[in-house]
Amino acid sequence: MLQDQVQEAVERAAEHGADAETFDAGRVIIEHVSNSSKEHPLLHLPTIMGIDFSVTKHVLMLWLVAGFVFLVVTLTVRRYLKQDRLVPSGLMNALEAVVEYVRDTIALPNVGKKWVNVWTPLLLTFFVFILCANAIGLIPIFELLGLLDYYVLHTADDSLVKHLLHGGTTATANYNVTAALATITFFSIIIAGTRAHGFVKHWMNLVPHGLSPVLYILLIPIELMGMLVRPFALTMRLAANMTGGHIAILAILSFVFLFAQVAGSWLVGAGVGVFASVPISALLSGLEIIVVLVQAYVFTLLTAVFIGMAIHVHH
Amino acid sequence: MNNPLVQPDPGLYIWAILTFLVLLTLLTKFAWGPLLKALDGRQSAIRKALDDAQQAKQELERLEQESAAIMRKARADADAVVTESRAAAERLREEMRTKARAEAEGIVKNAERQIQLETSRAVQQIRTEAVELSVQIASKIIQRNLSAEDNERLIQEALQQVQARH
Repeated sequence: MLQDQVQEAVERAAEHGADAETFDAGRVIIEHVSNSSKEHPLLHLPTIMGIDFSVTKHVLMLWLVAGFVFLVVTLTVRRYLKQDRLVPSGLMNALEAVVEYVRDTIALPNVGKKWVNVWTPLLLTFFVFILCANAIGLIPIFELLGLLDYYVLHTADDSLVKHLLHGGTTATANYNVTAALATITFFSIIIAGTRAHGFVKHWMNLVPHGLSPVLYILLIPIELMGMLVRPFALTMRLAANMTGGHIAILAILSFVFLFAQVAGSWLVGAGVGVFASVPISALLSGLEIIVVLVQAYVFTLLTAVFIGMAIHVHH
Repeated sequence: MNNPLVQPDPGLYIWAILTFLVLLTLLTKFAWGPLLKALDGRQSAIRKALDDAQQAKQELERLEQESAAIMRKARADADAVVTESRAAAERLREEMRTKARAEAEGIVKNAERQIQLETSRAVQQIRTEAVELSVQIASKIIQRNLSAEDNERLIQEALQQVQARH
């Protein structure tokens, strides 16, 4: 389904390109993985202290994902807790498996028994939020909306629907979003260390005690750099993974139009699509499902590990 | 840096932080908090139930052993009572038999003594009468009246002779 939709979307883009009589694969792909432009946001908001707070596609996606996650999780939990006897059923089974997995396998071994109930909510929120934000990129909702608009709605060029069609669906493919999430991790590490050891002690825990002062001149900058490198790595890993898979799928689907253009016949493009592009990108989408899960897991796990390192200091 | 993939976007950055923090707060308050508490509660409830079951099983085993011991003791007691009463009955029977035998022997001995007494009295009587008769016969024969003193002396002599002969 994704492949068909993306293909349609690429076709649409190709039609735009047809105005210029050429299909620009790079432009189309970038258009589908990057944020919508700041010049044409979905909702203009004032610029405060030089920061433009306008709502772009990725901001909207963040809100949609957050709203979706909140509603689904809260309603499931509420319905479960309303029972007299706590017997999980339906969606609660899955949610309980996730909660117990995150608590017992990710949080508990890293932060320890004393802090597990303090940090499990953060880790759970990281996991479900990143997972949903990643996964929603695999579902071509806006490509469907584009099809609907193209064939049925025929909205004007500056309508909200047309604005919605611009930009990628995966908010976690944007470095700014993943940097924001990594910032949360960064401060969580400091808060965890501070709560476990006190503010001053936490900073003193960064380097081992009792070394010669010469070593500290070397160690302190290294450890401070390490503090920043960890969230930076989180930022890059998640965003790059989310962007990479989409680019690969889109590039392979672009073959359809590139071949059609080179051969000068749509039949060639259709042949490439049926026998190469669609099967390969279907396989890649299957791979993407794994990547989506793994990246959400890795981000959560590393956050737990970093928090655990701040609580249980080993040198 | 015209690549749209790496455009810094502070607005989006701050929106993402705010969105996440709001989601975190709401989920912690309405979902994770109560859920984790419920899971902990259920965990301890299950642990307690298992402990209780274990305890009940041990209690049951203990009671079974106790009742078996009681049964064993009761059976032994009953056996002892039966044995004892049987012995008592036996003893009683033996006693009664002994007593009856002694009584019977007493009666027989008494009767024998009575018979002996009667016999010896009869023999005495016969003897006295025989002496008197002999004296009468003798006096008739010798026809001589002895004085009463002689008479008595003769009688005594005769008696002594009879007794010595006897």
